[in-house]
Amino acid sequence: MQRKLQVSGILLIIALIIEALSLCWNNTLAFMSFAVVGGLFFVSGILLFLYSLVPSKTTVSNH
Amino acid sequence: MIGPQTLVFLLIGASILLILVIVIRPSITVSREGKIITFLALFIVPVITAFVGASQHLERSEQTQFCLSCHIMEPYGRSLYVDDKSYIPAAHFQNHRIPVDKACYTCHTDYAMFGTIHAKMEGLHHVYVYWFGKPMNPIHLYEPYNNRECLHCHSGARSFEENPTHTAMMVELKSNKVSCTTSGCHDTFHPIDKLGQVKFWKPSGQ
Repeated sequence: MQRKLQVSGILLIIALIIEALSLCWNNTLAFMSFAVVGGLFFVSGILLFLYSLVPSKTTVSNH
Repeated sequence: MIGPQTLVFLLIGASILLILVIVIRPSITVSREGKIITFLALFIVPVITAFVGASQHLERSEQTQFCLSCHIMEPYGRSLYVDDKSYIPAAHFQNHRIPVDKACYTCHTDYAMFGTIHAKMEGLHHVYVYWFGKPMNPIHLYEPYNNRECLHCHSGARSFEENPTHTAMMVELKSNKVSCTTSGCHDTFHPIDKLGQVKFWKPSGQ
């Protein structure tokens, strides 16, 4: 789980760096970088984080 | 005074620092407090930051500079400097009748309910077509220019209201039955095919 969180964090950091860089320019290329490239990293990071919340093994209780 | 862009950069910086804590010390996620911090760092804060960044990008997309960054729009940008006051966009742009930094958006948005959203959606479509599709060449409006866009500023203005030609057809103008732009009165716009023949205005200091 911790490994997934680390990868998720790295993906989100890349997305945020792309967002910051894209805000340095005001043109369609900057917008597309933000929306497509940044968006891809962002969605991947968020989805990986959400996936990491899912338990890897189903715990069966024996009563 | 901190501008909105600086605030976005600060938010991005803070988000990155918060995420770095999780990346460097993932063991903190074991504790209850660590789980809360992780949820904030890897979900809530990035979502807010992305939302703020997107709204900042959409806000900036109203700027003339943004529209003219597509090379297909370049001649339209040049047409704003035509030295002939009969050309409506050039006269509006050069005399600051519209905000110079939002020249395209001011005239080509819809001043109707949800007009801004409609304009943004069309703008996103234009960007998509420009990068991934085949933009129409020459470009043209989706539908005839609506008087509403002119009257948004001119309605109520003395020079407009006291003009006898306008007064005589005010009802038709306001109901869009007579077009401001195609009825023979104000029908010269972006002279794209004549840019090689017209004179250009050079602003002082350029």
